Amino acid sequence: MSERPELPYSREVPTPTAWPLVAAFGTALLFAGIVTNLSASVVGLVLLVLGSAGWFRVVFPREECERIEPTGGQIPVLPVPLPPREAPRKRLVLPVEIHPYRAGLFGGIAGGIAMGVVAAAWGVMEHQSPWLPLNLLVGAVNPTLASASEAELAAFNPGWLAIAGGIHLVLSLLTGLLYVVSLPMMPRRPILFGVVVVPVILTSISWSVMGIVNPAMEEYLSWWWFIGSQVAFGAVCGVVVSRFAKVSLMKDLDLATRMGIERSEGGRS
Amino acid sequence: MTTLSTTPVTEPAEAAREPLATRLHRWAITVDHKRLGIMYIASGLVFFVIGGLEAAAMRAQLARAGNDLISPQVFNQLFTMHGTTMVFLVGMPVLLGFGNYLIPLMIGARDMAFPRLNAFGFWLFLFGGLLLYFSYIGAQGLYGASVAPDVGWFAYAPLTDRTFSRGNSTDYWILGIMVSGFGSIATGANLVTTILCMRCKGMTLLRMPMMAWMMLVVGVLVLTALGPLTAAQVMLLFDRHLGAHFFDPQQGGSAVLWQHFFWFFGHPEVYILILPAFGFASEIIPTFSRKVLFGYPLMVAATVAIGFISLSVWAHHMFAVGMGPALNAFFSAMTFIIAVPTGIKIFNWIGTMWGGRIRFEPPMLFATGFVAMFVIGGLTGVMLAMVPFDWQVSDSYFVVGHFHYVLFGGTVFAIFGAIHYWYPKAIGRMLDRRVGVWSFWILFIGFNLTFFPMHISGLLGMPRRIYTYQPDRDLELWNLISSLGVPIQMLGVSLVIWNLVRSAFKGAPAGPDPWDAWTLEWSTSSPPPEHNFDASPAVGSARPLWDLKHPEDPDGRYE
Repeated sequence: MSERPELPYSREVPTPTAWPLVAAFGTALLFAGIVTNLSASVVGLVLLVLGSAGWFRVVFPREECERIEPTGGQIPVLPVPLPPREAPRKRLVLPVEIHPYRAGLFGGIAGGIAMGVVAAAWGVMEHQSPWLPLNLLVGAVNPTLASASEAELAAFNPGWLAIAGGIHLVLSLLTGLLYVVSLPMMPRRPILFGVVVVPVILTSISWSVMGIVNPAMEEYLSWWWFIGSQVAFGAVCGVVVSRFAKVSLMKDLDLATRMGIERSEGGRS
Repeated sequence: MTTLSTTPVTEPAEAAREPLATRLHRWAITVDHKRLGIMYIASGLVFFVIGGLEAAAMRAQLARAGNDLISPQVFNQLFTMHGTTMVFLVGMPVLLGFGNYLIPLMIGARDMAFPRLNAFGFWLFLFGGLLLYFSYIGAQGLYGASVAPDVGWFAYAPLTDRTFSRGNSTDYWILGIMVSGFGSIATGANLVTTILCMRCKGMTLLRMPMMAWMMLVVGVLVLTALGPLTAAQVMLLFDRHLGAHFFDPQQGGSAVLWQHFFWFFGHPEVYILILPAFGFASEIIPTFSRKVLFGYPLMVAATVAIGFISLSVWAHHMFAVGMGPALNAFFSAMTFIIAVPTGIKIFNWIGTMWGGRIRFEPPMLFATGFVAMFVIGGLTGVMLAMVPFDWQVSDSYFVVGHFHYVLFGGTVFAIFGAIHYWYPKAIGRMLDRRVGVWSFWILFIGFNLTFFPMHISGLLGMPRRIYTYQPDRDLELWNLISSLGVPIQMLGVSLVIWNLVRSAFKGAPAGPDPWDAWTLEWSTSSPPPEHNFDASPAVGSARPLWDLKHPEDPDGRYE
């Protein structure tokens, strides 16, 4: 630690005073009188006025302060002069390169299509309707679907199709973005991560909350098909995302450069 | 312009020789932010013990089905006083006490902006709390004298109407909270002014410790949220005493209006209680991971975002009221949205720990426990943001489990972490490490034993606020486990208190910087002198002590 000269200094602190205590006690008594006795309120009002007046005199016309001499035993703090700028150190380049976010969007859409194909195949093979999985998805926001008949769930419903499509699209895009930021964390095992780890995690979460979030879906769902659809999503999304070249996070550049307002020396903005 | 007198510094040994009355007098008239902070925290801990005993009594009653240890009337009083105490007389004062103690030290200031207002705020809080508890002696209720409030901590109308709440126990609730609330408003204004106006040279907003950012947002939230509650309480007093009908549906008023008023305060209040805990974790985790806080600017942005969004989620407490699909959807969406900045913080703490040289000292244990428990509470909160799910479990023990994971597993664990972290600074002596570790694990086990089964009993259909239940509902086992966790928690809390008291006399001397930390409070002596710093500090980065210790690699070069 660098040596620094001791600075001659003395501090002023406000003089201790009981007036805030008196005023607070008066305030409490003033209100306590409402539930006890009016005389308590009267005493409280008197104390509040006295406390306020005393307080006023402490700070007006000049605030009463005491000067206290330095006590020592402290570490004086002053800014450290910055050494000349040099090449970024390790802690500057910690953030790794990631795939561009648009890779996640494309991957999410592609994975969502693959998942939809598997889900539709399940609907056709087990319930003779490609619409059933989509309609079941609506159950997450419309609790009345829990009491709908299978025929209703298997029928084409444009309103439900729009809602389910929206939910599926949003979830697919978000999961695609999840792949973008998390795939670089496992650079040696991207296939394992995309096809096994994420589907297992998502299936586990879905399994534990499905009965609460979407009772209708839980009633009809085949978990093996569900896992298959997750794997299809993971495989397609993972492949699409990994085909995009990684880009630097530019963490070592300042905000203006990262926002594209200024050009960096390396010409990356 | 000030008038000055010179006062000799009282040495600790010299102060200890003073008569007890003199010492008490010095504490009573103090306007020093550090003493007031300690008084806030100590008073809050006393109320914490009282509120904890009330909870223990409730759990004893619920340990088995059909129990008659406590009458329904007393049970109603217990859950009302427990909730009110923990929120208004424990959470707020302890956290504001930490803000009081730490903020001037962290930003290099001499004191709070308004030292006397600070004292006024503390005494208002204390007298408000005492007024509330005086109801046990002085209040009149439907069942006679000595009746504490029994309308629940959120005191829904029309239960608070004179027709249903006879006597004046409800008035004690209104007045006690209102007086205490005045004190909180004073402290909120003080915090905001201090942080904005009294930072030392070089301490720009983005060089403030994360704790200061949290307390700044908390101060703004206190100023925003407590006013409407106070207004609603005055309206309720008018209803009860002056014949007004604001909340009386039979006379054209609206009971739902009270709910809106209350939760407009009540949900920001949750963030008032959790943001300082975020601040504690954001100070403790980097120190014990030996790494800079990951994503500081994003943490700041997330904190400010939480402050704004927390003002627009209040009605998620009211999904079961029947507000209609549009409002339900809006408040559901906002609740999902607020999970995003909150989640950012979780990732940032994990990012801070990731790859660090973690030292599991007691403060770090509590901070890590806080992160884990808060994640569970946060996730069940996201579940409750789904309207269909909320309808199923509204007013059930699932909700009780959820908010205890947030406020006990979150706030209280973080508070204990903060106590273990800053105790050496405030007292000048170290807490016993072994006792600290034991108290953490005992509390951790007891906490989970008590509150995790509540999720299950809630899903099985156990309503909150019932004094007993029937034996054939599969609820006995879960309630018994919950109740068995209570004595374990009591042991853990007792160990913490014993450690606090014993170490004040027998703890090892701490020195100014026992944790090798980086923020300004660790540059002054332990305990700090009345004027905080002998020399006014000036900083060149967010971690001024890091810069001093590593002049070859100061943080300023990366800003």
